[in-house]
Amino acid sequence: MKHPIATEPSARESEETGLPLFRSWKSVYLFVLGSFVFWVALLIALTKYFS
Amino acid sequence: MSALDFVVLIGSMLGIAIYGIWRTRGRRNLETYLHGDRKTPWFAIGLSVMATQASAITFLSTPGQGYLGGLGFVQIYFGVPVALIIIAIFFLPIFRRLNIYTAYEFLGRRFDAKTRLLGAALFLVQRGLGAGLTIYAPAIVLTTVFGWPLDLTIICSGLLVIIYTVAGGSDAVTVTQKYQIGIIFAGMVTAFCLLVAKLPAGLTFTDTLALAGGFQKLNAVNFSTDIHQRYTFWSGLLGGTFLMLSYFGTDQSQVQRYISGASLREGRLGLMFNAVCKIPMQFSILLLGVLIFVFYQFEQPPLLFNPASHQYLEQHNDSGQLQVLESDFQKTHNQARQQIENWLDARHNGDETGARTAFAAAAAAQQQGEAIRVQAEKTLSAANSGTTANDADYVFITFILHQLPHGVIGLLVAAFFAAALSSKSAELNALGSSTTIDFYRHLINRDATDAACVAASKWFTALWGLVAIGFALYAHLVENLIQAVNILGSIFYGVMLGLFVVAFFIKRVGGTPVFWAAVAAQSLVFVLYFNLTISYLWYPLIGCAACVLLSLIIQAALGATNKSAPAS
Repeated sequence: MKHPIATEPSARESEETGLPLFRSWKSVYLFVLGSFVFWVALLIALTKYFS
Repeated sequence: MSALDFVVLIGSMLGIAIYGIWRTRGRRNLETYLHGDRKTPWFAIGLSVMATQASAITFLSTPGQGYLGGLGFVQIYFGVPVALIIIAIFFLPIFRRLNIYTAYEFLGRRFDAKTRLLGAALFLVQRGLGAGLTIYAPAIVLTTVFGWPLDLTIICSGLLVIIYTVAGGSDAVTVTQKYQIGIIFAGMVTAFCLLVAKLPAGLTFTDTLALAGGFQKLNAVNFSTDIHQRYTFWSGLLGGTFLMLSYFGTDQSQVQRYISGASLREGRLGLMFNAVCKIPMQFSILLLGVLIFVFYQFEQPPLLFNPASHQYLEQHNDSGQLQVLESDFQKTHNQARQQIENWLDARHNGDETGARTAFAAAAAAQQQGEAIRVQAEKTLSAANSGTTANDADYVFITFILHQLPHGVIGLLVAAFFAAALSSKSAELNALGSSTTIDFYRHLINRDATDAACVAASKWFTALWGLVAIGFALYAHLVENLIQAVNILGSIFYGVMLGLFVVAFFIKRVGGTPVFWAAVAAQSLVFVLYFNLTISYLWYPLIGCAACVLLSLIIQAALGATNKSAPAS
């Protein structure tokens, strides 16, 4: 059998997030990293304050 | 368990499996069987990725980790956000553009057939063994606690997942995982709420945190640079990133989940959903364990949570040592409890000195109790040739069984089985896909039709399911269950990641250098694992770095040889 033909994602598909607050993927990734920093800071605070 | 619990358990498990088969009936061609109908939205992909990673071990064993070791285990997940962002930017667009069925097809296109087969073989070995643990782990814990026959539990749950995964393929996995994770969250949230309601009335939220923190259970982040310490910020961030990059980026059980999205956007958002949710989710599960620890400061806990260990000690208790240990343990617990109540009174009355004195006394009594528990474990180990109690795996289920009402017990046991089935089905689906695409269609039957490939995939999925059941039937407990799964992954994942890193980022390295570099790097990881005592989280980084460096060296050596060879 033949392998399905490789398909290129359109430039539009690659660029658009479809999210109201985050128009670019860069902003989505920054939000994810921000939430990571928030959780690590929270955990550090928990460690420092209650131990 | 009561009849109500069994109705909840069996009804939910069978209901989801039957629904999965019904929803995916008629999947006949290879594209829909392995990729689904390519209409999966990001939320379903996100849940599917989450359900695939979070096995029953996650929910059974992690609260026990929280109970015994505190929040420190959360650091292993610090690598998740960075790893998933890298996959969303680099891996996913290429996987989608090439429209591949397995991640190892990409290695074949970038390098050569032998490198593709090596990548697929590494996946099949480690995931095949991991699938056995996925099904064995909840079965051993639940059968020990409930007294069910172990073999029958493994076989029944194994056959159930084989049936719906074989029948519906990739879509059946995604469809069932949505409902399975619903049951898991319903069970865990219910347990959390009931646990909070069971804490003593006078204990406020800050009292609870202060009490847990005083006993060092809230030490979530450790910046130590000692590489022998298992969970630190650095091992989590660096080692964890490599472990998670390997797992999410190169393990077919995950790749198959997110390449089945309706578009690149859906796949990326599904991954980002996990990047945001993973740390808070694991934190919540560990916090549940910490709260169980606080709860057991006011209720007498068992000396050993594993009932089989306790039973063994009872049966081999000729000198009456068990009664002495239990009596001493109860005394120290009562002392600790009295001092904690004194601490609470002093704290609420603003008496800081009194609070400090009472807490110091409580901590001393608690340490004595812990020493007695360790003594009981040593007695068990001495009496039963090195057997360990593995108490972490039994803490949560003991709490559920003794403290929660009927119906909720059934819901939580259903949650554990849902978690086992959801990750198991994704693993079997991936094992069947890789065997079909990377070995059967690539080596055995190059002209296979779609129908032949679907039939082969079904047979291979069933075969891997039976292999997993067989492995589970003969598996022995190794350390704590969730750690065993992570250690197994750590040994193999680094080299797999190394193959993909070279493929994506080092264009000048060819197939033969990277193949031999991977073989050498995997051998090195085996040697180091059996000779060093460093945290297992470092092995993915070591394996990946070794594979990349060796491939560059071998490529340079081969290049030099080719240049110096006389022209014929």
